[in-house]
Amino acid sequence: MNRPGRRLAAAAVLLPAVTLAAGCAGAPATSAPATQAAPPSPSLNTSLDTAAGTWAAVAMGGSAAQDNNFWQLFIRPAGSTRWKLVTPPGTADNGGLVLASGGQALVTGFRPSQDLTYSPLIQTSDGGQAWSSLNPLDAPLASAPDALAVKPGSGEMLALLDGGPAEEAAPGSTTWTTLASQQALAGTPAGRGCGLQSLTAAAFTPSGIPVLAGTCTRPGIAGIFAAGNGTWQAAGPAIPAALIRQDITVSRLIRTAQGMTALLQAGTGPGASLLAAWSADGGHWTLSPPLPLHDGALTSASFGPGATAAIITSSNRGQITTGAGSAWLPLPPLPPGTATLAPGPGGAADALAARGGTLTVWRHLPGGTAWVKIQVINVPIPYGSSS
Amino acid sequence: MPGMNSGLNVSDPAVVAAFKAALVHQGLIALLIIGLLGLAWITIRAGLPAAAAAGAPTAPEATAATVAEPAWRRLLRIGFGLIWVFDGILQAQPKMAIGLPSQVIEPTAASSPGWVQHLVNIGGTTWSYHPMQAGASAVWIQVGIGIWLIVAVRGPLSRLAGLVSVGWGLVVWVFGESFGGIFAPGLTWLFGAPGAVLIYAVAGALIALPERAWRSRWLGRLMTAGPGTFLIGMAVLQAWPGRGFWQGISHGQPGTLAGMTNTMAQTPQPGFLAAWINAFTTFDEAHGFAVNLFVVAALAVTGAAFLSGRPRLIRPVLIGFTVLCLADWVLIEDLGFLGGLGTDPNSMIPMVLLAAAGYLAVARAPAEAAEPASSPAAAASWRDRLRIAAAPRTLASASIGSVASVGAIGVIILGAAPMAAAQASPVADTILAQAIDGSSTSLDSPAPPFSLTDQHGRDITLASLHGKVVLLTFLDPVCTTDCPLEAQEFRQAGQLLGADSRRVELVAIVANPVDYQLGYTQAFDRQEGLDGVPNWLYLTGNPAQLAQVWHGYGIAAEIAPAGSMIAHSEVAYVIDSRGRLRQEMDFDPGPGTAATQSSFAAELTDAARQLLGRP
Repeated sequence: MNRPGRRLAAAAVLLPAVTLAAGCAGAPATSAPATQAAPPSPSLNTSLDTAAGTWAAVAMGGSAAQDNNFWQLFIRPAGSTRWKLVTPPGTADNGGLVLASGGQALVTGFRPSQDLTYSPLIQTSDGGQAWSSLNPLDAPLASAPDALAVKPGSGEMLALLDGGPAEEAAPGSTTWTTLASQQALAGTPAGRGCGLQSLTAAAFTPSGIPVLAGTCTRPGIAGIFAAGNGTWQAAGPAIPAALIRQDITVSRLIRTAQGMTALLQAGTGPGASLLAAWSADGGHWTLSPPLPLHDGALTSASFGPGATAAIITSSNRGQITTGAGSAWLPLPPLPPGTATLAPGPGGAADALAARGGTLTVWRHLPGGTAWVKIQVINVPIPYGSSS
Repeated sequence: MPGMNSGLNVSDPAVVAAFKAALVHQGLIALLIIGLLGLAWITIRAGLPAAAAAGAPTAPEATAATVAEPAWRRLLRIGFGLIWVFDGILQAQPKMAIGLPSQVIEPTAASSPGWVQHLVNIGGTTWSYHPMQAGASAVWIQVGIGIWLIVAVRGPLSRLAGLVSVGWGLVVWVFGESFGGIFAPGLTWLFGAPGAVLIYAVAGALIALPERAWRSRWLGRLMTAGPGTFLIGMAVLQAWPGRGFWQGISHGQPGTLAGMTNTMAQTPQPGFLAAWINAFTTFDEAHGFAVNLFVVAALAVTGAAFLSGRPRLIRPVLIGFTVLCLADWVLIEDLGFLGGLGTDPNSMIPMVLLAAAGYLAVARAPAEAAEPASSPAAAASWRDRLRIAAAPRTLASASIGSVASVGAIGVIILGAAPMAAAQASPVADTILAQAIDGSSTSLDSPAPPFSLTDQHGRDITLASLHGKVVLLTFLDPVCTTDCPLEAQEFRQAGQLLGADSRRVELVAIVANPVDYQLGYTQAFDRQEGLDGVPNWLYLTGNPAQLAQVWHGYGIAAEIAPAGSMIAHSEVAYVIDSRGRLRQEMDFDPGPGTAATQSSFAAELTDAARQLLGRP
């Protein structure tokens, strides 16, 4: 037998042996699933509730050309039923706005667009009347509505950047430092247990502990991690048995006045479903019943007072929950162009519909069966100013 | 493709006017060269009437006239000479200076592989950086080659004309035609494969052959076998299934040929031509298979006839082939130069000329002739002729063709020299910046003082910069469009200044009343790679301080509503070493292409160097 022939024969013997040996070496308790594409993050069209009122970020202007998409910030001040335009000045916001509640204050991050490659930050403490710049991030904020978080009272901030690293800025600090990279977090025991694929959200627990969340490739694990003891601890809710075989993505995670609220998407495709999760302390969670998404994707998710949440799916359906442990309730067919919802107490909600430079606000009252137009705001979109 | 497109309007009046002026100036110089040469020739001939008879070396073409120039060579020489002149005239179109890279080269290269695009981008970038020089050079080089081919009948000058035609033809074929599209999908003889200018180069190579080759019988065989092989190859390619030529309509869309002619019909041209092309398109859509079958057969038969090398067979086929080429030229190639920016009449006329030359080469093969007897004149060496003392006698004895050839060479050099000089410069011409913002305004007044903080937290005043030339502008650190471009123009200017940059300060002042903090100037510097530039200062202050400086320099910086960036003036000032304003430049960066950025950088550099007393 010549040498190549010998090699072939050796390979023929060794290959099954190696295969058998590998099989005997002990497969992981849970077989590693094939990596699936994580569901896309919901858009930056969103609303959140603060002590100053309810804020909403909505993309307006020309949707055809990115350069003519201008993001607008609106506030419905506490105690008022009317919305007003309070878009922060001084920076082109074609790349999108990321909102973070800091108690009375609201911090807004600008996702960079065109030739800008870093993210300016700005904050207001008086309902958007006056704005002051904060030290910018040296890299783009991630395109996720929870890419920015503020620790109420202290001003400490967390930011999730494009590509996964999370940075933190100490109170009053002018510099940002790396808190964790996605790879580093994935390498911790908690990260390995989740099979962390990507980071999707940053938040603070009610007690002020930094929390990061993402997509797990190990089924049935909700990837929420709290910083502690120099490492990251798994802090997500236990997933119901019915969804234990599904990959879980934390689509949203925010701190509210009542604690923390998360939206978890289980699986993708026709079998995907959505869970809302509430925690008063960041450790113990209450889950909503799963909401089948019927092949739809989450396009917008918003949070309101009393731990309420509302979502819009790609099939243009709206759903709302009224607080911890409550079920999802369908909303009447959404008005055309609805970009995001602003949930209120008891199942009430405002729908903010954008068309060009016009924002139309529709209101749904608890028990109602239709949306009522309550306000129209004309925004002077600066078409062409960013091209 | 990066660098290819200057981004300016092809009809930009400043560039068009400058291009025309350059053409006129160079045209006058060309006339002067030819006139002086002619005058010298006439004068010396009159002064030395017996020069030739007295033993002066005669022109090579006069001494070696033992074999007449073959008809095929004359056809190629005059035919391609006229085409080169015509191409040169097309290059003089006003839109050519700006438009050639973006409207001719880039679309041609778009379907070629990446490496072709990369190579072509080099040429296109050179052109877009120096549109006037490149545009005028192309005119004079092509006109010069054309005239040279026509007037240089034989001898070394004539052969050299052929070689120059090969060289320039290959340059145009590679950089202008992206290798004639031979690496792109959809290659077909009908659309001009293998590229018109490659045929020019082949003709040039034949013209450059030595005279002993004229008497060779293999040359005729080669000149028919070459086109024959090519045409058979094209027939196979045309017949290849799956390329869309067999279908007039495919999946509800016009087939490849109908799609092409449909597009051609849309270009601006005389109505009757558009009507013919539309009619052909309709016919092809209805009878795509038959049309392609006819083309395949015609190419195959023509190729086979040429491969046979038999004149009797080739002659009727040549007539048919000529008709086919003319039909293609009109109905498919749209005469080659109509619509858009035409640079040549495309491939069919050159193809006919080459085929006809092949036929003439086999049909009228010259009889073998003895080597020409050496004459006393021929015995004179080139060294003798080039002696200064012998120059008048050499010139006096030269034929008018030789003198005209030298004139044509002068015209080529006239075109090539500025292009070579431009090629050597990596910086774009300042005409691009001037086309965008006009010329700068001269000033001579004290610069308004300022006292601000640089990106490192140091206090900087205008007085502290005395002794240096200051290039000053106003930038918004969170601007998403123009300011990053303007910063790069400053950065490039610093690089261009080289050692002089130690005597120049590149200064920007924040033009944003909201995002003015040090964190923003530092982030902007990192974004633009300016944090390591030693003579770069990005100054800021509190809103009141900034407003005062803006007022002093006439800068508006206004908050615009609804998510817009700050609206601020785009101006650059040049301040001399004594703190006096010397120039004000509008500083809107325009399209912000590599070419325009480089042009603005060159304008800033020139202004600084002027104040430094540098040429």
